[in-house]
Amino acid sequence: MAGLGTVDRIEPPRIDDSVSLAAEALVRKRRRDRIVAWLQLLPGSAFFFAFFLLPLLGLLAMSFFSLVDFEPVVDFTISNYAEVLTSSVHARLALRTVQAATIVTAIVLLVSFPFAYTLNFVFRRHRQLLFFLVLVSLFGGYIVRIYAWRSILGNQGVINQGLMAFGIVDEPVRELLNSMYAVGASLVNFLVPLGVLPIYAAMQNVSPGIAEAARDLGASRFRTARQIVLPLSMRGVRAAAAFVFIATLGEWVTPRLLGGTEDLLIGNRIEYYFGASLDWPAGAALAITLVVAMGLAAFAIMSLMKRLAR
Amino acid sequence: MTAVTGSPPSPGGWRRGLAKLRRRPIASSGFVGVVLIYLFAPLIVMVAFSFNSSPRLSFPFSGLSLRWYEEIFTDTLVLRAFRRSVQAAVVTAGITGVLGLLAALGILKIAKRARGFILAISAAPLAVPGLLFSIGLAIMYRQIGFERSIWAATLGHALIALPFVFLVVGASLERFRFTLLEAARDLGASRWHAFRTITLPLILPAVMGAMLLAAAISIDDFVIAFFTAGQDKTLPLIMYGRVLKGIDPTLNAIGTVMLLLTTSLAFMAARRTTIGER
Repeated sequence: MAGLGTVDRIEPPRIDDSVSLAAEALVRKRRRDRIVAWLQLLPGSAFFFAFFLLPLLGLLAMSFFSLVDFEPVVDFTISNYAEVLTSSVHARLALRTVQAATIVTAIVLLVSFPFAYTLNFVFRRHRQLLFFLVLVSLFGGYIVRIYAWRSILGNQGVINQGLMAFGIVDEPVRELLNSMYAVGASLVNFLVPLGVLPIYAAMQNVSPGIAEAARDLGASRFRTARQIVLPLSMRGVRAAAAFVFIATLGEWVTPRLLGGTEDLLIGNRIEYYFGASLDWPAGAALAITLVVAMGLAAFAIMSLMKRLAR
Repeated sequence: MTAVTGSPPSPGGWRRGLAKLRRRPIASSGFVGVVLIYLFAPLIVMVAFSFNSSPRLSFPFSGLSLRWYEEIFTDTLVLRAFRRSVQAAVVTAGITGVLGLLAALGILKIAKRARGFILAISAAPLAVPGLLFSIGLAIMYRQIGFERSIWAATLGHALIALPFVFLVVGASLERFRFTLLEAARDLGASRWHAFRTITLPLILPAVMGAMLLAAAISIDDFVIAFFTAGQDKTLPLIMYGRVLKGIDPTLNAIGTVMLLLTTSLAFMAARRTTIGER
């Protein structure tokens, strides 16, 4: 504003050519900017194409290959799908996997939502620090965490030692490790941060004033969370549910290391096809089936939760 | 907590007392505490046992010692894996830093509709489970005849880390004041000169943070390396192999070293990218 006084000292430009010249220069600059922008996007996009889309297409193609002498051969057969879809083992594993994913998702949401809520509305002053801890735990130690549960749940583990020291049991409880409980405890453990993240992010759009007003008008904390904050942060809850559900469906390391020999998930079967059995086409077909099922599941969760939010 | 429900308007003192009570939610502290303990307990136990002098995973400690660290730092298998993990992390950070920064700069200047499309597509790897992506990658490598190696795994790491870098750098560029850049250009600075002296210094903390995050993702990865690294075993692969073989006290020490690497990288990354945002 201070510079306005100097304007009248500048000679008024002749409108006809200088303006059109300036406009032309601007248009040229815009066009050049846009070309530069696409050039800047090019390397990343090429990388994305080569190392993400091509592998997924390769997976799709492989599912139609046939297996000759343990070597995948280019082919177009649906026998792999017939094989994986009719196997009773797969039906049982798929059922267990969906069951596990549903339970894990429910538990993670039941922990993550109140946690994000408490962070955002109760401990508002320390929420940065607390969120920070969650963020750090999200990127710290996938295999390390799975392993660490062995030292907690094992026969010589912390829990069994404690139980025996207090005389609650005489023998270590063997069911703690190598069971679905161990798998569940570990899965929930590293998926909670993944659940908190989107819910907490969505809550940033809920004004603390709204929650406070509800509280001042006499609503309990639970009612405020359920009727005011939950509908407003539903997007985050849905994203968290989909993330966690999909992550559990594709999980195989946790059941391999913490589950018993029986308690395996469908992911272990895919790993088996690519590892021990060397039947890549069948593994690919099973994986593609899983992707399709996952898409349907994610869609179902989304619409179910949309209905629940109403 | 429910005492407030339906309470009549009351004189100041009483009401303030109630409000104070509300502000000291014991149940909330307890809940947050329990969740945090649950999140960190396995890690704390593992770190503690890594200093236990007895090979048994049991309390009470028979004594403190560094023998497991000594063992792993003289174990050439572990050392080689450690070097490979670090190499993969550094290369991943480098690739994603360059590609992510370029793409984040580019997406600002293109039409809105294309921008939305690219943003949505770029997040797709986050929704695909590591297992499916890894076997797809293994299939592609096999079809083009690219040997399984640490490089094969590293390229996979770069791919899954790229969306994070792209989104984090993009978020920081959104807060960047482009008028500064325009002023420099109007004063005669070249595109490159303006970028190097104005844009880069201002967004460098976010780019560095994002690259640290990419390094943490690379070091933490197990699944991609499992399917694509072949004989070039990284630290998580060594851990997996030893866990399958049975109880091995060196695992606590290896796990602690890995945990230190990933969490300190994630910690530094989070500090650079989240703190100071508000």
